[in-house]
Amino acid sequence: MDHTPAAGTSVRRKEDARLLTGRGRFVSDLALPRMRHVAFVRSPVAHGRITGIDTAEALEVEGVSAVFTGEHPAIGPVALRAQSALPGYVETDQPPLARGKVRFAGEAVAAVVADDRYLAEDGAEAVVVDYEPLTPTVCAWAEPTDPVHDPVHEQAPDNLLLSRTFRAGDVDAALAGAHVVVDRELTTNRHGGNPIECRAGVARYEAADRKLTFLSGTQVPWIVRTQLAELLDLPEGNIRVIAPDVGGGFGVKAVLYPEDVALCLMAMAMPGTALKWVEDRVEHLLAATHARDHRYVLRAGFAADGELLAVQADVWCNAGAYSVYPWTAGIEPLMAGGLLTGPYKLADYRCTVRGVATNTSPSGPYRGVARPSTVFAMEALMDSGARALAMDPIALRRRNLILPADIPYRMPSRLVDDSGAYEACLDQAIATFDLERWRAEQTRRRVEGGRPLGIGVGLYNELTGLGRAASAGPRMAFRTGHDACTVRINPDGAVTVFSGVTSQGQGLETTMAQVVADALGVAYEAVEVRIGDTDQSLWGFGAFSSRQAVIGGGAAHLAGEHVRGKALALAAALREAPVEDLDLRGGQVYMAGQEKPIISLAEVAKVAYLQSDRLPEGFEPGLEGTKFYDPIRGAFAAGAQIAALEFDPATGEIGILDWVCVEDAGRIVHPVIVDGQIAGSIAQGIGGAMYEHLVYDDAGNLATGTLLDYLMPTAGEIPELRIGHVSTPAANPTGVRGVGEGGTLAPNAVVAGALADALGVEIDDLPVTPARVWELMHP
Amino acid sequence: MKITLTVNGERHRLDVEPRRTLADALREDLGLTGTHLGCEHGVCGACTVVVDGEPVRACLMFAVQADDAAVATVEGLAGGADGDGTLHPLQEAFSRCHGLQCGACTPGMLMTAAHLLDTEPDPDRATIRAEMSGNICRCTGYTGIVDAVADAAARRARGLRARETS
Repeated sequence: MDHTPAAGTSVRRKEDARLLTGRGRFVSDLALPRMRHVAFVRSPVAHGRITGIDTAEALEVEGVSAVFTGEHPAIGPVALRAQSALPGYVETDQPPLARGKVRFAGEAVAAVVADDRYLAEDGAEAVVVDYEPLTPTVCAWAEPTDPVHDPVHEQAPDNLLLSRTFRAGDVDAALAGAHVVVDRELTTNRHGGNPIECRAGVARYEAADRKLTFLSGTQVPWIVRTQLAELLDLPEGNIRVIAPDVGGGFGVKAVLYPEDVALCLMAMAMPGTALKWVEDRVEHLLAATHARDHRYVLRAGFAADGELLAVQADVWCNAGAYSVYPWTAGIEPLMAGGLLTGPYKLADYRCTVRGVATNTSPSGPYRGVARPSTVFAMEALMDSGARALAMDPIALRRRNLILPADIPYRMPSRLVDDSGAYEACLDQAIATFDLERWRAEQTRRRVEGGRPLGIGVGLYNELTGLGRAASAGPRMAFRTGHDACTVRINPDGAVTVFSGVTSQGQGLETTMAQVVADALGVAYEAVEVRIGDTDQSLWGFGAFSSRQAVIGGGAAHLAGEHVRGKALALAAALREAPVEDLDLRGGQVYMAGQEKPIISLAEVAKVAYLQSDRLPEGFEPGLEGTKFYDPIRGAFAAGAQIAALEFDPATGEIGILDWVCVEDAGRIVHPVIVDGQIAGSIAQGIGGAMYEHLVYDDAGNLATGTLLDYLMPTAGEIPELRIGHVSTPAANPTGVRGVGEGGTLAPNAVVAGALADALGVEIDDLPVTPARVWELMHP
Repeated sequence: MKITLTVNGERHRLDVEPRRTLADALREDLGLTGTHLGCEHGVCGACTVVVDGEPVRACLMFAVQADDAAVATVEGLAGGADGDGTLHPLQEAFSRCHGLQCGACTPGMLMTAAHLLDTEPDPDRATIRAEMSGNICRCTGYTGIVDAVADAAARRARGLRARETS
């Protein structure tokens, strides 16, 4: 029988049937017996002391059964404290519900439990909270002449939660010897993940056996379990975290939130009652983590031939009101300093990064973490360098790229880049894009008139599948290297996989099934995958850092191979055949040189489970195995994006005429899923570059609190995207490179670069909006 | 208030508060959780259902406004003529063209697309993009969605032509 590998083909996704027919299993959809609903009371002020909370009226509202505040005995003793051993990192507490004072507008102050959500919101409206205002800090890079009046946390009187300087070589000497030195000061716009399903959780506690079940739309169920065990003082085995179908994540759901912890604490105070909280969009915009609110002050030196000699950078990242749990306020600044230099070779580097507390919603992981900003910064330096040297900007980039001969390349931040595919991606992108044609069109318009046209380019390296070495940087209490996978052959010969990966739309059930099918030697259809349940699978750190195809996939491959070995050994013993002559394909065991199978996997499984009398000497019943995979370092994925944009002088309207992306995703398991990840991440990148902006006023009020103000791109704004591949297999079991985030990294640089190219100006601030374009065109 | 809703051909009698949205009546009272809520203020389109032939944001309509109306939701799309669960051509196309990832926006996308194909049999890609621009997807970058709607439309047009010529 012919057996076609499942990997490399776009098999039908296992998730699709239920999601297309309205039968998805989302937390938002859950209804449990004795379930009650929670609504949070949120602070309307950015910074203030809580002088009183009156819950009496709320408790009189029909259907309201309880009101919790930060001082409630069930809540009061608990605080979320994101920990890191980095020198100088200031640890601060985040209460599940505000205690003593509020630190951002939108912070949960109280929670109301009622029979349904309408009644819970009635109750929430009836809670009266008195505040004594404190001076808010909104901007993370105030001038030294503006002393901090009321620090966000008393432990950090200057609001600085973290500062670190990355150093390599001698920047001052390198700058002194440079042919040209360029300076840029850039800011990037605060925006956020905004998955279509907002945050959601259902918590239920059984007092008799001290067991907590937390159904949550989380990206990181095992991290959540570990952290909850500590916070709730429960044995970890007594906590079951289940992430069923999750309606998008993008990093926002890789955080354990105070609302999650409050929900679990309230459930423990109300044993036997399931408590459900589904966040609405207004809450999400206010209080789910934000990202990318950064400032970069940069200086770079170039040699006369274009060689990048030195980069000096000062970076401020707005960490918001709390150090995001459990990642810490280091998540953005450390990534910014570690990856700023991107795909470019550089010896002399000094970069000081800071995480600054402000009275705004906490910053957290969002697809691409800091690198959409750092790629914008680095590419801005390249464009400035090219102008100063009167060099072609693409030639200047080429001059400095990490090449295959440089691999493994130790970046100035000491991360080790294992990809040299940047130039290959760039070459293919330029060819697909037809750069010469667009340059000719640009020139034609400049001569003959027409809307100014600009070409923007962004090159990036995406650090994916971080192993234990690469994840050491933040010095947290845990190292996010490994995932586990269990492959179980059932008594009927079909396969159930218990994987530690989680899915928020990435189709991991499908990808894991493909990997296991091939490693084991069965059909894709014979494999069913269980994910997202801490009681079913052994371990997985979850969805972040584009890690799951690499690490979860690696574990799936190793576990599949392991169980294949077990099945073949049993088959060999049963058929008295030499095991080295046997092969498992399509669920049948073949002997070398014979056309017909000698035994089916189903028959082998039947013996293993149901006919122990037939088990040969030395074989235990059952047929399953578990393997971990930890890639130690990780796999860099290269990418290049290039686009042509036109700008309407009358309206400032921005038209995207063509957009090409070429990435090195390594070996590709499911081509359509991979392209879907790239297209989706480019769309989010374009959203951040052109539309999405969370704006606070000086008093710390969010001015963009609905989707009428916070604009996400639709099918009308996102262009047809042309996606290409350079596939250089990575050194891991499946050869894949992560692909979840790369697309988001370039659009800031591409859009700003195109506008700069079209108008001959420098773009220092994002987003690039029609209003901004119009201003630039009418100086 | 007592109302009658006909959802996917089935009549339901409900007693709802005037403030209850159609989306909540469908999801909470009828257990039809295929209709998703993404923003609850009428922008994202995830809750799109078809009421008396017109696409409607179920988060912006009160259940009492749908009294005596015929409501079509994503749960009613599949099933074929004889209720055998066959996927609707649009559902098939969404799967084939990777028009969905997490599935949160998908019900609204499908209902909007179904209405589009009912009213505009042969839309080009620009028309599809414009017509689908009231629904936000955060995962796909829209390429797969536009591909899926175009594919379903093309297959239907081919099917119609084949029937005409036979």
